[in-house]
Amino acid sequence: MEVGLAAIGAGLAVGLAAVGTGLAQGRIGSAGAGVIAEKPELLGTMIVLLAIPETMIILGFAVAAIILLVK
Amino acid sequence: MLVQMSKVQIIGTHDVLERTVQTLHNAGVVQITEKPPLVDALALDERAARQRDEITQLLTRLDALLALLPAHPQPKDLNARYAAEATRGINKVIAAAQRALAQLDPTAQDLARRRDELEADQVTLPRYAKTMRQLMPLAADLAPLKNYETVALLVERRFSAVIEMLRVQLPEITNEQFELVSRDIDPDTTAAILVFPREHSAAIHTFLGRESITQVRLPDELTNVPFKDALATIETRLAQIPPALKNIHRELDALADHWRTSLAVWSAVLRDRLQELEVLRRFGATQYTFVVVGWMPRKQIAALRDALARQVGDHVLLEELPLTEREREHAPVVLANPRPAQPFEFLVRLMALPRYGTIDPTPIMAIFLPIFFGMILGDIGYGALVLLGTLYLLRKVKSGGFKSLLIIMLYCALWSIAFGFWYGEFFGTLGEAIGLHPFFNRGEAVLPLFAFSIALGIVQVGLGFALGIYQAIKLHQRHALLDRVAKVIALIAIFMLVAVSSDALPKELFTPGLALLIVGTVLLMRTIGWVGILLAPIEILGTVSNILSYLRLAAIGLASVYLAMVANELAGITGNIIFGVIVAGLFHALNLALGIFSPTIQSLRLHYVEFFSKFFEGGGERYAPFKREGIA
Repeated sequence: MEVGLAAIGAGLAVGLAAVGTGLAQGRIGSAGAGVIAEKPELLGTMIVLLAIPETMIILGFAVAAIILLVK
Repeated sequence: MLVQMSKVQIIGTHDVLERTVQTLHNAGVVQITEKPPLVDALALDERAARQRDEITQLLTRLDALLALLPAHPQPKDLNARYAAEATRGINKVIAAAQRALAQLDPTAQDLARRRDELEADQVTLPRYAKTMRQLMPLAADLAPLKNYETVALLVERRFSAVIEMLRVQLPEITNEQFELVSRDIDPDTTAAILVFPREHSAAIHTFLGRESITQVRLPDELTNVPFKDALATIETRLAQIPPALKNIHRELDALADHWRTSLAVWSAVLRDRLQELEVLRRFGATQYTFVVVGWMPRKQIAALRDALARQVGDHVLLEELPLTEREREHAPVVLANPRPAQPFEFLVRLMALPRYGTIDPTPIMAIFLPIFFGMILGDIGYGALVLLGTLYLLRKVKSGGFKSLLIIMLYCALWSIAFGFWYGEFFGTLGEAIGLHPFFNRGEAVLPLFAFSIALGIVQVGLGFALGIYQAIKLHQRHALLDRVAKVIALIAIFMLVAVSSDALPKELFTPGLALLIVGTVLLMRTIGWVGILLAPIEILGTVSNILSYLRLAAIGLASVYLAMVANELAGITGNIIFGVIVAGLFHALNLALGIFSPTIQSLRLHYVEFFSKFFEGGGERYAPFKREGIA
C-alpha cells in the first residue's frame, strides 16, 4: 500500500511539474519566436527566458527521486 | 578579460592632416568618437569634397560591373596586389579605374542585356509555342490572306457563350467581312481564330477590349508573321538561344578573367580612401590645427605614438586624456582571453557584451561549461561520437560563430568521455557488458549524485557572489555590494540551519544560524526599500533555488541514462539480433540527439541565469576601430 502511494506521489510530482513547465515554456516560446524574428540579437536572452521554467520539472524530478529512494 | 582602454586626443597642424589620417588608418587601433565639443567641425576642402563625390560614383559603377561579371576563384596574389595598389597613390587608382570603366562598361552592359533577353525568351517562348500548337488545327482551315488581320482567342470552356456573342455582333461591325472558326482544344479551353480586313482592326480591338475578351499575345516580332509560320519561327528561335547564350557567357568569362581582380582591388582601395575622407567629419578644427578624439587599447598607445612620429613627424601630438566615471562606462569593450578560452567569448556575446570595467566571465565559463556538459552526458560512446562528428565538421568550417561552437563541443566531448569512464557508461549499460567497471554508478547512486550537483551549484553560485562583491567594491557600487553580501549571509545561515536539522552540525549552532538569517534578511530589506519586507524573503528563496537548480546536472543526465537503458533492454526483448540492433540504434540516435542538445542548453542556462546574475553587467559597447577593411 505504502509503496503504491509513494509511486503515485512520485508520479504526481514529476507529472504536474512537467505540465506547469510545459505551459510556461509554450507561452515563452511563442513570444520568443516573435522576439527573435524582430531582433535576432536577443537570441541569448530568449534561451535564458525559455530555460527558466525548467527548474520546476527538475525540482519535481528531484522530489520524486527522493520519495522513491529515501526510505 | 577586458582590455584596458584609454581615451586619446590627437592634435596636429593642418599640413599633416592627410598623413595623420593615413597613419591612423594603417594602424587600425583607434575608434574615433564623434567630433570633440568646443571646436568647429573640420570642413572638407574643395578638392577633397570633389574626390569624395568622384569615388562614391566610381564605387557604384564598379560594384554594378562586378555584379555583372561571373565570380572567379580568388587569385593567390590578391592581397599583394591590394597592398601594391594601396601604396600607388589614390589619383592613379582613380584614373586607372575610370579608364577601365570607360572601356569595359559598354561592352559588359551590352553582353549582360543580351544575356537577360535571351534568358527571358528561353522562358517565355515555349509558353507561346504551347498556345500556338493548340491553335494550329484551327489555323489550318484558314487561307492566308493579304491585308487581313488574324486574332487568336483562348476562352475558358464555361465562358464559351462569348464566341456565340461574337458571331452575332461581328457582322454588324465588319459588314459581314470576317471569318471565325472555333474548336474545343482541351476539356477546359475553347480556341477561336478571327480573320478580318485590316480596315476594321481598330473597331474590333476596341470591341474586344470593351467585352474583356483576352487575345493571345505574341512577341512583337511575331505579330506580323502569318499565323502558320509563327510556330516554326518560335522553334527556330528557341534552337538558336543556347549557342548564343554560350557565346555570351564565354565573352563574359573572358572579361572577368582579365578584369575581375583589378576591379575588386580598385574597389577595395577606393573604399579605404572614402573611409578616410568620411572620418574627417568627426575631426574638429581650429585655425591652424585639427583635433580628433578616440578610444584605443592602452597597451598600443606607445606603438601608435611611435608610428605617428616616424610617418608624420613632430607636427602631431598624441596624448592620453583623463577619464571621468561617466566616460569610463561608455568605453568600447574588447575581450582578450587566452587562446583556449576564446571560443567561449561567442557564448558570452550571445548573452551580451560585458560593460567596460566589469568582469568578463569567459575564462570561468571555459572551465565550468564543458565540465557541466560532460557531467550530464557522461558516456564514453556518445562522447566519442560527438568528438568524431565535431572533428569532421571542424575540417569544413573555417571561421565564425559556428566554429567557436564546434571547438566548445570538442572540450565538451572530451569531458563526456572522462565522466563516461567515471560512471562506467558506454552507450548506457553496454559498458558493463564489455567489462567496464564504474567508479561511480550514477543510475544507482542517485542521491550522492544529487549531492554532488548541489555542491557544484554552491561552488559556482558562491564564486559568482565572490566576483559580484569584488566588482561592487571596485566600481564603488554600494547598493549592489550590500545586496550581494546580504544574500551570502542569508545563504550561509540557511545551510547552517539545514545542517543542524540533519544532525551534520551540533544543535548549539541553531540559534546563531537563525540570527544570521535574520541579519541577512533585514540587510536585504534595507537595500530594497519598503517593498523589501515582502521581496527580501522571496529573493533569498530565489537564491536557494538557484543552487537547487544545479540538480539538473544530475537529473538530465539520469534521464539520458534511463533512455539508454531502455534502448538496450528493448533490443534484448526483441530476441532477434538484426531487429534488436536496429531498435537499439534508433533509440541511441534519439538519445544522442537529445544528449547533445539538452546538456548544451542546460549548462548554458546555468551560466546565464544562475551564475551571471550574481555579477554580470551587459550593455558593453563594441569596439570598432578606424581601420582598413582590406580585401575579402
